[in-house]
Amino acid sequence: MSAPALEKRGTPAQPRAGATAGGPGGGPGRPRGPLAALGSRPRLLALGVAVLVAVVTAAVLDGGTWPTALVYDIQTRLDQVSDWLTDNRDRHWIFLYVLLHVSNFATGTVDQLYLVLSDIGWIGVTALATLLSWYVAGAGLTRRSLRVAALTVFTFAVCGLLSLWDYALATLSLMLLAVTVSAVIGLLLGLLSGLSNTCERVLRPVFDSMQVMPAFAYLLPLVLLFGIGAPAALVATVIYAAPPMARLTSLGLRGADPAALEASVSLGSGRVQRLLTARLPLARKEMLLGLNQTIMMALSMVVLASMIGAGGLGDKVYQGLSKDSFGIAFIAGTAIVLIAIWLDRVTSAAGEQLDAPARTTGSGFARACARLRGWPAWSGFLALALLAYLTGPLFGQRFWPPEWTVRISAPISSGVEWLTGKIGSDVPVLGGTDTWANNFTLWVLNPMRDGLQETPWWAALLVVAALALVGGSWRAGLTGVLSLSVIGAMGLWEKSMDTLSQVLVALVFTLVLGVLIGILGARFDRLMRVIRPVLDVMQTMPQFVYLVPVVALAGVGRPAAICAAVVYALPAVVRITAQGLAQVDTAALEASRSLGATGIQQLRQVQLPLARRSLLLAVNQGVVLVLAIVVIGGLVGGGALGYDVVYGLQKSDLGVGLSAGVAILCLGLLLDRLTQSAGTRQTGSGRN
Amino acid sequence: MPRLPLPPPSRRRRNLAVALRPNQQNDPKQPTRTRSSDRRAGAVRRRGVQLLAGAAVLGLVVGLSGCGKADPYYSGGSKTVTITVPAWAGAEANVAVAKHLLEKKLGYRVKATQMDEPVAFDALNSGQADAIMEDWLGVPNKEKKYVEEKKTVVNAGHMGVTGHIGWFVPKYYAEKHPEVLDWRNLNKFAKDFRTPESGDKGQLLEGSPSFSTHDAAIIKNLDLNFKTVYAGSEAAQIKEMRKKYEDREPFLTYWWTPQWLNSELDLVEVKLPKRTPGCDADPEKVDCAYPYTKLTKFMNARFAKNGGDAAEFLKKFKWSTAQQTEVVEWMTIDQMDTDEAAAKWVEENEETWKKWMP
Amino acid sequence: MSETTQANPVFSVRKLWKVFGPKAAKVPGDQAYAGLSAAELRARTGCTAAVRDVSFDVHPGEVFVVMGLSGSGKSTLVRCLTRLIEPTAGSLVMDGEDVLAMDSGRLRELRRHRASMVFQNFGLLPHRSVLDNVAYGLEIQGMGKAERREVAARMVDKVGLEGLGERRPGQLSGGQQQRVGLARALAVDPEVMLFDEPFSALDPLIRRDMQEEVIRLHHEEGRTMVFITHDLNEALRLGDRILLMRDGEVVQLGTPEEIVANPADDYVRDFVRDVPREQVISVRRAMRPAADGEAGTGTALAPGALVSEAIEAVARTGEPARVLDGEKLLGVVGHEQLLAVVAGNGGGAGTSPAEEAAEAAVEDAAEDDSAGADRDGDSASGASESDSGAGDKDSADHGDSDNGKAVAGV
Repeated sequence: MSAPALEKRGTPAQPRAGATAGGPGGGPGRPRGPLAALGSRPRLLALGVAVLVAVVTAAVLDGGTWPTALVYDIQTRLDQVSDWLTDNRDRHWIFLYVLLHVSNFATGTVDQLYLVLSDIGWIGVTALATLLSWYVAGAGLTRRSLRVAALTVFTFAVCGLLSLWDYALATLSLMLLAVTVSAVIGLLLGLLSGLSNTCERVLRPVFDSMQVMPAFAYLLPLVLLFGIGAPAALVATVIYAAPPMARLTSLGLRGADPAALEASVSLGSGRVQRLLTARLPLARKEMLLGLNQTIMMALSMVVLASMIGAGGLGDKVYQGLSKDSFGIAFIAGTAIVLIAIWLDRVTSAAGEQLDAPARTTGSGFARACARLRGWPAWSGFLALALLAYLTGPLFGQRFWPPEWTVRISAPISSGVEWLTGKIGSDVPVLGGTDTWANNFTLWVLNPMRDGLQETPWWAALLVVAALALVGGSWRAGLTGVLSLSVIGAMGLWEKSMDTLSQVLVALVFTLVLGVLIGILGARFDRLMRVIRPVLDVMQTMPQFVYLVPVVALAGVGRPAAICAAVVYALPAVVRITAQGLAQVDTAALEASRSLGATGIQQLRQVQLPLARRSLLLAVNQGVVLVLAIVVIGGLVGGGALGYDVVYGLQKSDLGVGLSAGVAILCLGLLLDRLTQSAGTRQTGSGRN
Repeated sequence: MPRLPLPPPSRRRRNLAVALRPNQQNDPKQPTRTRSSDRRAGAVRRRGVQLLAGAAVLGLVVGLSGCGKADPYYSGGSKTVTITVPAWAGAEANVAVAKHLLEKKLGYRVKATQMDEPVAFDALNSGQADAIMEDWLGVPNKEKKYVEEKKTVVNAGHMGVTGHIGWFVPKYYAEKHPEVLDWRNLNKFAKDFRTPESGDKGQLLEGSPSFSTHDAAIIKNLDLNFKTVYAGSEAAQIKEMRKKYEDREPFLTYWWTPQWLNSELDLVEVKLPKRTPGCDADPEKVDCAYPYTKLTKFMNARFAKNGGDAAEFLKKFKWSTAQQTEVVEWMTIDQMDTDEAAAKWVEENEETWKKWMP
Repeated sequence: MSETTQANPVFSVRKLWKVFGPKAAKVPGDQAYAGLSAAELRARTGCTAAVRDVSFDVHPGEVFVVMGLSGSGKSTLVRCLTRLIEPTAGSLVMDGEDVLAMDSGRLRELRRHRASMVFQNFGLLPHRSVLDNVAYGLEIQGMGKAERREVAARMVDKVGLEGLGERRPGQLSGGQQQRVGLARALAVDPEVMLFDEPFSALDPLIRRDMQEEVIRLHHEEGRTMVFITHDLNEALRLGDRILLMRDGEVVQLGTPEEIVANPADDYVRDFVRDVPREQVISVRRAMRPAADGEAGTGTALAPGALVSEAIEAVARTGEPARVLDGEKLLGVVGHEQLLAVVAGNGGGAGTSPAEEAAEAAVEDAAEDDSAGADRDGDSASGASESDSGAGDKDSADHGDSDNGKAVAGV
């Protein structure tokens, strides 16, 4: 699998070399055979040799797994830790004086929030949320603020209509706390890494790991440390959702307009003064974007949170699954998606509001609104909330009235069942997706898995090192080799190779489909407009929701897991590709058009080369996202590491779960570093 | 004033105090409000305030929860009962009915939280959950540790339903090949059960990792030419079974009764070797059939003692397999809302539940 | 003349160095590096000397212009004055107080109250209204809100932004934004204002407006200003005295007239070649001794009158004009003298027409040699290697005496 990749990487460099040398074919490397080309590039040669060795040894030697002598029995150790934790939960000081406070705080706060929200009543909650969104989006009669307000009403009404009011409140309560804590912690970490270079160097890999590590894997340790329900869910969400806030805060602080900062210094501001009056406010756009990202990430944890008893809409998704009812899971998923869209629009409206001028003109109403901004408005909201809290119970029902609900889950279920049944096995001639999936497993997945597993471990290390070397980065090579060694040392070599084969296949599918759709989307605006909301939904819809139809289409097994991964990772790849192509210098494009290039020529000769950075970013993002879904794959028969993580969580087996989680993290680091190093090399040589 | 830039420090602090006081008591939305407001001239100050506010809220609430030693058995309020819900529909029906009665007849608030068996035991131990309504005795080590050693969890009696795990094939296949129903003949039919996932062995479809299973050991110890393939979740397993059933394909699966799907799919159990005493004592050496298990309720010890009416009620809760299956079928096959199904059952079966009332 | 005798210059800068790079501190004192050009120094030490051994005084109430092309070190120099950039060596005294010895608190005081700066890229805070931007300096000082907003409102009016106080910087034109920057600097009522190429980002018409604004403010308030520019016309128009820099070193220091009339070297001469000399040079420089019979006739002019005024007078009357210092006849200017100034031959103390022609020929010959062309000079097209070598030696040899000469010449 590495050989074609290598060739692809090699070719773009060659025409360039020829071009700089002047004459066609006169440059080095053009008309010569591949071996000669390899000879002129010692690094490529090294890679070629490594691949050759790997292939030959895989074929000749049987069984390439990591030697048992080098395996360290981490699982027993972890089980001991787990036992110690359960035994000492009500005895040891670290629980009594630290961890239990955190968990009691989380449980208490979420409970309180839920009670207050339900006391305010459905009318009050909807009204307050609408008012608040409207205010944040600009508080006026502008289209933007009215649209955001309408969206709020719609979101809450849908939650009510689908009889999800209660669940939505529980999710909101947890999210309120989780987002607040994530944002505060993200902000503090962002401040650290934005203001100190040392901190940045230390924190960056930490952030990377926090995001690549599947949340499933650390749910169990968190349950052991903090207890089930809100506390563990809170901490897991914070781990997952705080990095974007921190990253973007740091980015904002570092990118603050130097002229404004210098002006501030020249006026005699001190360090803290400068931070508070200039640097932070100058970074507020990035920070708001970070908050937006944090909210989105937090919402993607809703279903996971309910796996450990945090309740909310995730429970409903789960119930749908256990009853094999796509409809129930789907409407709960829809509510989650709507809440995500609502919060996204509110925060982005707030972001746009940053640029909006202060209103000094306009209607009397707008002026009145403008005058109310600031503390008067906030205290007004507070008073209103208090009023609603006190009087809410007087207005009858606390929850959405049951008479005003609609039942659509049953028709949805049967509709989807009919559809998947048709596509799954009743397609004439072609046989349906089920047959394809079976053949795919037999002819692609199995050989690939076996090939990877047969490859001797040392040859695999060699290939990874050579790949990184071709990418031009010693450090990436070291990280890769170390990651693989950790996997081997944990005794998870075979399973990891199985997972790796699935990830690579999913990645290829994602990239081929994603880049293709991205290219089409960049070309045809209308298409992009149509698929954008679909992409949004694909990304925010909890993956659990589409597990059932995926199984219906592809059957239990690895193809289903790959399907799920592709669905999840596709939107980001499409988006990055389309954006990269759209951002290509219009002058260059115009120039090529003026020379009479056809559409395909423009794409091949101008757009794709110029968008190379974005494409590499798409590859990198694809890797990260596909890996994130490995665990979900375990729920539909993907087996290997994903299954182990699920097993660990559901069976409370720290040894199995955490070590498999770490193995996924290692695979993630390996693939991430390899793709990243390729990216830097490409852009580096592009500059010459 | 249309715009409020940074006031002198003293005033800033006072504003903050005013904003915070109602906040810790009962307004949940304040932190978010403060956060989402950063878009105007005063953003500077608010940013600082947010930092302080966040830290202060954290500090204060932690403070309120009592500095020093924390209560290791913290759970909600006194009128709140937390019941764990495992991932299968039968257990959901138990909880739904209990929840309905506790809330409507006894005035409690019930938190029904999704949780798998092992996790649920940890939760009972720590007091984060009060009761398990249906346990298949699948985690004997935890049961031993918490019930016998630490005495933080108590057995609250049977809940009336007897559960049984086994290997099942669809009836259409069993009718065609009746011999398949004896484990000794299984190897003969292994090729019928082959899938791409199981390779050249027959596939034994497994469900969620959370289920208790000895299948891998049984296969090994009985020398069967089969391989366990995990669907990974109950949902995936059911979907796969339904699909194969519709296409009349053969399949062998880990399955159990009572299960709502059994009224839709006609499945027949394959006989495994007879149980002998201690045949499943060592998980590695199991070579016999699964037992019939009287499904059991467990409670947090403190709740069992001080739980009042709720604890009394849950201890008495007991219904028949038929009754449970009825509710489950409403929920699954008729796609009725869980709460609605529970309400309907309560309305129609006053006789039964009257006996559970304290 | 008068300046040298005045006590207490606002800034007194002596032998100031700013060197960037590793071991920067070793460069200033070392004689081995003294004569090297910027490129040689970089090659030898890896360091860049942005400011090299610069000395000057800024006197109260004057507009002191530092002028040079980009990369000449002028922006670094002005930042050294308030230690926004820490000088590497030398001494820097403000009102008799050693700035380099100040601790951070004292330095902050200096920045808050005594010297404020206007920046090329404005450096406004986009999230604040104009009023709050102007009040920013006062806010940093800790002034109460009502008070500072009142001051800010006055400043906003003063720079001609009446009614725009509630706008955001993003809603203003470039010129208006720089007015905000100006108002912000004025608001703290500093003793001296520092301008770092404040108008170079603006288009020409607005630049002229802004220059007039500065002149007006200077007339009204008489505040000391240090003004950095790369635009010779701006320098001549605004400056009481001009410090010309090149590669971090002082090339010439003098009044606009001195610089135009009496360039210190070819570099400066080249620089001022296209300046309309009649607009800069005064009749004192152009006059000749009065011949017999001329004492009584002709228009009377003050010695400081510009040649352009004299041309007008001579053209009108047809006879030479008299230059009178009070009652005393200093000399007369006739059309020969005036034409000589316009033609670029007269008014110079040092150079004769013949010399200048010879030098021009040398420059033309060197024109193709582009080694010295890291300057984006429209007025410096003839820069060459030989030129820069001469210039460097020149100022290295007698930079100080240059100052003395310039000052004495006024």
